[in-house]
Amino acid sequence: MSAILQEISEKLQKGKMKEVADLTKKALDEGIAPLTILNEGLMPGMDVIGERFKNNDIFIPEVLIAARAMAAGTDVLRPLLVGEQMEQKGTVVIGTIKDDLHDIGKNLVRMMMESKGLNVIDLGNSVAPAKYIEAAKKHKADIIACSALLTTTMVHIKDVVAAVAADPELAGKVKVMIGGAPVNDAFRESIGADIYTPDASTAAEKAVEVCAAMHA
Amino acid sequence: MQGKALIMEVLKGKTVERCPWVPYTGSQIANLKGYTAQEMFKDADKLYACCLEAEAQYLPDGMTPMFDLQVEAEILGCDLTWYDNTPPTVCTHPLEGELVIPEKRISREDGRIPLILDVMRRFKKARPEIAMYGLVCGPFTLASHLRGTNIFMDMYDNEDGVKALVNYCDERVREVAAYYIEAGCDIIAAVDPLVSQISPDMFETFLSEPYTRFFAALREQNVPSSFFVCGDATKNIEPMCKTKPDCIAIDENVDIVAAKQITDAHDITISGNLQLTVTMLLGTQQDNQKEALALMDKMGTQRFILAPGCDVPFDAPAANLVGVGEAVRNPQTVRKALESYVAVENLPEIEMPDYANLDHVLLEAVTIDSKTCAACGYMVAAAEAAAKAYGDKVKVVERSIMHPESLSFMKKVGLTNLPSLLVQGEIKHVSLIPPVEKLREEIEEVLARR
Repeated sequence: MSAILQEISEKLQKGKMKEVADLTKKALDEGIAPLTILNEGLMPGMDVIGERFKNNDIFIPEVLIAARAMAAGTDVLRPLLVGEQMEQKGTVVIGTIKDDLHDIGKNLVRMMMESKGLNVIDLGNSVAPAKYIEAAKKHKADIIACSALLTTTMVHIKDVVAAVAADPELAGKVKVMIGGAPVNDAFRESIGADIYTPDASTAAEKAVEVCAAMHA
Repeated sequence: MQGKALIMEVLKGKTVERCPWVPYTGSQIANLKGYTAQEMFKDADKLYACCLEAEAQYLPDGMTPMFDLQVEAEILGCDLTWYDNTPPTVCTHPLEGELVIPEKRISREDGRIPLILDVMRRFKKARPEIAMYGLVCGPFTLASHLRGTNIFMDMYDNEDGVKALVNYCDERVREVAAYYIEAGCDIIAAVDPLVSQISPDMFETFLSEPYTRFFAALREQNVPSSFFVCGDATKNIEPMCKTKPDCIAIDENVDIVAAKQITDAHDITISGNLQLTVTMLLGTQQDNQKEALALMDKMGTQRFILAPGCDVPFDAPAANLVGVGEAVRNPQTVRKALESYVAVENLPEIEMPDYANLDHVLLEAVTIDSKTCAACGYMVAAAEAAAKAYGDKVKVVERSIMHPESLSFMKKVGLTNLPSLLVQGEIKHVSLIPPVEKLREEIEEVLARR
């Protein structure tokens, strides 16, 4: 990795938004391809953040400022990254489940997934099962990701699982991924969902893996 | 020794004969009287009735008459979304646009404070022997209610603003704590779930000072304090200890044995950490008793209070809390019952009553043991009270699981939670004690069919 890409990664990890944007422009001026800056500067920086978050070395504020710095870099690159240059790794429809307004975790998952090159459609908070289904069809999603922070709302996730199973267009084609504080793998199994991960970083890794397998 | 006296001894660091039990009862107790969470949280009479019922059934040493972290936020301008099966949730943040420190103070007359004070006064009078916990929203979580998730970015972008907001929240929370102490609370707990989401450095920067002040002020009034956190707060246990609360309460995300080594080193009591979902919500009564006994065995009888990891989920069966209360008060009896439960495959054969041809209506109370389990005693008493007027036409039997035959009976009828009541062989009431009137109606139905 060239020195400037290394520096982009390091500044991103420290959440230095302005420096990341300036260095991204400088790298372009030096003739480095936009996709190289994305794949070898910004994304590796966010990977480190994801790993450290998973290991409890850093916490929500540090992830949020790193993600903001990443966005500052990708904003510079976006006009230059035309369609075919961007590797399409898969599409995820995400939201907090019906009646649940707690979205910090969901937002972290979205950021981690985006930083890994997934196309993420964020439906926001308190999303009814029918809305997940509608969005999954519209965007030809590979994964529906449902987040719950409450023991009282997590039970609604099974309605999403049932709705996917009952829809011939989606059954067997879309995986349902679940997460959130009260959710665990035993709960996943009990409602018949496909994937559970304990943290945002692992969720993004697993989503990339699942999408790759589905597109193989 | 039990109740408040027992908890105070534990908080002083004394070795006691058994660990105290504080079931952080929140919305779940609405079930005991057939209310929704919303009905109970908005009505003093309903909340009071549920608190009394929870105290009677769960056999706690300490109680939290109100467990709702949105009370202060609601007063300070957050809109709440209300639910029937969970505490309300904050849905708007008045400072989301701009971080300006508000001027509003919280008075005794604001929001639901009068309701809470009324319930606290009544509960204290009715149950003075129980340690009454007054729960306030921790200043960091309250600040996030007011500012929204922007507060996490502010911690980098606007350090002074966050400090000022947390200090403002700390002052408001102290006002509320003072009202709760006036109403008779024995312990003040600051519940700050978001503490698990920040680093020890951030904790030291933003929360060490206000929390140290908060707990010192309580200490000056001789009121013990507890610092509640949810989530994986492992790395913040040490900084939390340095703010000098009397107790730290954690959930299942923290290794309680390792955490106790830290709290012990600071002469602080630890409380927790029965699993909320896997055990309390989804597990059986026996699962809950097993976990409670295992926790008590590993934590000992010094500086430990048995409690759920946080407020109990609405749908957690009352029987699970009854079972834990029983395991705390009568561990040997429960151990014996669990041994029989484990040996469920070797149960004796029994002959079931011929319900269709009985010459009377049969009420069968299936219990742990009505002599030692309060809720079981109420179930038997309710059945006997309903049967009394009918003489020989209605008979009541208790099937205590201290007898293996009763376990066979449970298996045959498909019962998992106790106490329960069957009317003419049909399971009618599980965990919740029915009103006598309801039981009479059910007896009349059977009589009318004959």
